[in-house]
Amino acid sequence: MKLQDKVALVTGGAKGIGRAICVALASEGASVAVNYRSSKAEALDLVHEIEAAGSKGIAIAGDVSNAAEAVSMVEQTVAELGGLHVLVNNAGIVKDTLIFNMQPDDWQSVMNVNFGGVFNGTKAALSQFMAQREGTIINISSVMGERGWIGQANYSASKGAINAFTRSAAVELARFGIRVNAVLPGFAPTDMVAELVDKGGRGIKKQIPLRDFARVEDVASLVVFLAGPDSTYMTGTCLPVDGGASAQLGLGRPE
Amino acid sequence: MPAFTCGIYTYKEHGMTNEEYLPQVRSAVAEALGIDEDEVTPTATLLDELGAESIDLLDMLFRLQRTTGVKIQASDLAHYVQGGIADDEFGDEEKDVITPVGMAQLKIVMPQIVAMNLDGKLSPEKVMSYFTVENLVDLVVSRATPVAS
Repeated sequence: MKLQDKVALVTGGAKGIGRAICVALASEGASVAVNYRSSKAEALDLVHEIEAAGSKGIAIAGDVSNAAEAVSMVEQTVAELGGLHVLVNNAGIVKDTLIFNMQPDDWQSVMNVNFGGVFNGTKAALSQFMAQREGTIINISSVMGERGWIGQANYSASKGAINAFTRSAAVELARFGIRVNAVLPGFAPTDMVAELVDKGGRGIKKQIPLRDFARVEDVASLVVFLAGPDSTYMTGTCLPVDGGASAQLGLGRPE
Repeated sequence: MPAFTCGIYTYKEHGMTNEEYLPQVRSAVAEALGIDEDEVTPTATLLDELGAESIDLLDMLFRLQRTTGVKIQASDLAHYVQGGIADDEFGDEEKDVITPVGMAQLKIVMPQIVAMNLDGKLSPEKVMSYFTVENLVDLVVSRATPVAS
């Protein structure tokens, strides 16, 4: 068990990739705080599942786009689970639409939750991490932060901001014993992107070198690696988990 | 420097404690700056002579928190030096100089400046450049004392 006696907080942990991350961290012995905003029932179910498997878990309500709520999430985690060592900034939303039709709130809300959530979570955890000279932060970004997609300009920009922030934060926080890395999933069929993968599923799969979508577990296993002792010399990286999609030029073949 | 209200510091009465904290402060400063502990003499100034920047100060304070249990915020440093005196009483903005009231306070927390003949010449911007390792020890002691007593 690589995360025995460690405490992790996963934002947006009740569903999708966040849920898989919570399960994977707990299976390595970590106590896990599952943050949720609206999915209370799913969060409580997950906590039961974590406890049934022999780890400690708690559900914490809170909106990561609100700095004060991010602070109280961290405080609650430390108070109830006895510390904090791993922060997974995972919470994210999409509001896909063409730029031509995009309203100010369509990009501002996506930016506030996706990038604002990473910023608020990171800042909230810092005094704990700096005082103990130990902490790993894993930001769940997206390959969309490095490449473009029609209808996802707002989402893509928010993820690009996360990648840039990850590098700067890693450089600034290294001397305090804190590592910061990002994971960039390709297409993982979760509720968040259901519309996209349902509509374009076959066509998208054909374009991925490994010919399949990411399983949420594929993302979670990299998060566990980055959270744990096997990656102690890694910081400031943005690692794709995308079946080779972003390595490829165009379709990687004539047609 | 921001205005700040704080209690009266009584660090002068705890000479023994200064002795205790000096090695921990020297080690925190040396580690934060990546320099040899021998270079961190009590009279060395943190910013000017040792080259500390704001991130280095933050690093020192968190290291000290770990080794001494004394929690000092980065903002406390300026507050401590200014001693609760309001900005406009502490410095004369127009002349860009520390007022006599401000100088009297600085001579308490940074006694080494008494002999430097800085009255009427010290720019507020330069104040921290005179802050020494020893002054930092005094700050740690002043913060540790209320907890101990």
